Amino acid sequence: MTTPTPVQIFRSEERRERYITGSFFLKIGLLALFILVPFLFPSFKSVDLAMKVILFATLVASFDILLGYTGILSFGHGMFFGIGAYSVAFLMGKYGSPSYVNLLFGVLIAAVIASFIALFISFLSLRVKAIFFAMITLAIAELAIVLATKLTGLTGGEDGISISMPGVFSVSFTLGKFAGVEITGRTVTYYLILLSCSALFLTMLRFTHSPLGRVLQAIRDNEARAEALGYKTFIFQSIAITFGCVMAAITGGLYAMWVGYVNPESSLGVMTIMLDVLLMVIIGGMGTLYGGIIGAGFVKVTQTFLPDLQDLAMTLFPQAEFMHHIFERWLLLFGILFILVVIFFPKGVMGSIRDYMARRSR
Amino acid sequence: MNNDKIAMALKPAGHWERHLPLAIGMGLFLLPLLGIPVKTYLTLTIAGLAMGMLLFLVASGVSIIFGLMDVINFAHGALFTWGAYVGFSIFRLLNKWVDAESVLQNVGAFTIAVVAAMVVVAFLGVVLERVIVRRVYGSHLFQILITFGSTIVLVELIRVLWGPNDEVMPVPLRFQGNWDVMDVIVLRYPIVCILMGLAVYALIQLVLKRTKLGTIVRAGVEDLDMVQAMGHNIFLLLTGVFAVGAALAALGGLAMAMFTLQVYPDMGSTYLLFAFIVVIIGGLGSVTGSLVGALIVGLAYNYVAYLIPWAAAGVNILIMIVILLIRPTGLFPVGK
Repeated sequence: MTTPTPVQIFRSEERRERYITGSFFLKIGLLALFILVPFLFPSFKSVDLAMKVILFATLVASFDILLGYTGILSFGHGMFFGIGAYSVAFLMGKYGSPSYVNLLFGVLIAAVIASFIALFISFLSLRVKAIFFAMITLAIAELAIVLATKLTGLTGGEDGISISMPGVFSVSFTLGKFAGVEITGRTVTYYLILLSCSALFLTMLRFTHSPLGRVLQAIRDNEARAEALGYKTFIFQSIAITFGCVMAAITGGLYAMWVGYVNPESSLGVMTIMLDVLLMVIIGGMGTLYGGIIGAGFVKVTQTFLPDLQDLAMTLFPQAEFMHHIFERWLLLFGILFILVVIFFPKGVMGSIRDYMARRSR
Repeated sequence: MNNDKIAMALKPAGHWERHLPLAIGMGLFLLPLLGIPVKTYLTLTIAGLAMGMLLFLVASGVSIIFGLMDVINFAHGALFTWGAYVGFSIFRLLNKWVDAESVLQNVGAFTIAVVAAMVVVAFLGVVLERVIVRRVYGSHLFQILITFGSTIVLVELIRVLWGPNDEVMPVPLRFQGNWDVMDVIVLRYPIVCILMGLAVYALIQLVLKRTKLGTIVRAGVEDLDMVQAMGHNIFLLLTGVFAVGAALAALGGLAMAMFTLQVYPDMGSTYLLFAFIVVIIGGLGSVTGSLVGALIVGLAYNYVAYLIPWAAAGVNILIMIVILLIRPTGLFPVGK
């Protein structure tokens, strides 16, 4: 019996304490909150908000695998999200019919297509410089939007595609009342998506904590050194990109299930989806995965309640004409917030908390 | 890296790769003749060259800024839009001169608009570099993030100041219309664009190759730390180059708005993409590469838009992919 290495000792300690730390109970509590949302706040607006927070938290986590764990910035993540959404919409609406099999195949096909495109882009761009990745993905994402808009016959153009859900997921389905709240198809869909997103999130956690994930972090921190240690950085980066993009595509399919509608702007847009995702990942903290939940919660809640905030500002300062102008352009405020966070708060909420905890325990 | 340089130096002078850019250019020029009548072909070629020259104005800024500062400026598109809108406001103010019959007044209005756009946007560029970009030198990731954030702020400011709608760009009277040369209709404005682009290219090359400042800039592209060690104030240099790049973007924006006869807040993002494709094709950091890349993109876009309208957006990305596959550093790679 050989003596355990320091890494093994560290890991076994980590394993022993895994289920008794405060952060574990926090995570369970958060999950419980999301489970209880349809009963605590049964209004359409709040359930929709909770669902979007969950979906975007998953999308941001998949983006974080690229940005935070691999150090590669992709502007095409919205495109992969859109591929998932369109794939489900094609099979459920335009070229198929609502059925469970089509739903499953929609998500599967999306994953396959996304993995091919992601592999292709990474082969194309990583050969030169990682910085090319941002430029090339931006170009290809814009191309995808143009194609989705122009090829009206294939994609429905600007109008997009509306889909309806099969069987127990359809809006008309009811299961009767439970705890004073009517269980409809929407509620069933909510739980299916919550379950799927939790599974995706756990998969991504597993991925980042695997030996492969640690190699990725090594490449992010010092690519030359990782290469000198014998890791083929190109292969590891390609794997991470493909994995992240497939996760994004699956999330996109779930998104299409929830909103029941896809169009180029809402499910492919660089300025809509990508901007939100970037803001979420920066605010939550890069390279933390859980930060995505905080970021998604902050951005989505702000966006939902912004009209109320605007009314409040109107009533408080009825004279400030210029300020109303600025408030109408809330994206301006988000942009300023974005720059400020990148400059002064580059680790985000989650990263700063972790730094603080690490300092305290030392 | 060093090995690459040596290998390149050892390559025989007649290596086929040297003729590749020329071959691609020639092929592009002649291939569309198969499907297009000659007269239309000439018109398209002039439009393509004009578009290429305007793209060159934008792309050269991106390329120089990257070459010297190692910064990919995602805010370049927003600066481009600012240039267009400042010019738009000047034309509105000087509408008497714009609508006048006199060539002198037309050219005067155009010159004032160009100078105003370049000065305002150069100032924006200085602010952007000093306040925001300087904080994140050395980290590509944060540079992209922060310049992307700046794009949002700059574009939203345009929406606040000028309103969110598309506007029709006024064009001085004498810049409109066309000449009839041997039954081929030649629009006037594209010719102006081509001449302007060539002039700017000549000016950049002159400054880079023939002045002390140009020598310092070229040395900075090779090794910035060394230039600093030689006692030059590189921070001033970087700010200056950023401002020049921004001013070129403004000129490109104004000229492009006059070319397409419209201004809208999101116009920058479209042309920023073109500029990225151009610099990837031409080689990041190379001015000549930007010119060649821009002409390839401009011509290809116009030919394909005529032949297969829906594929126009894709053809440039296709060219970019092909170039990346056969020559990942672009047509005119710059050593670094």
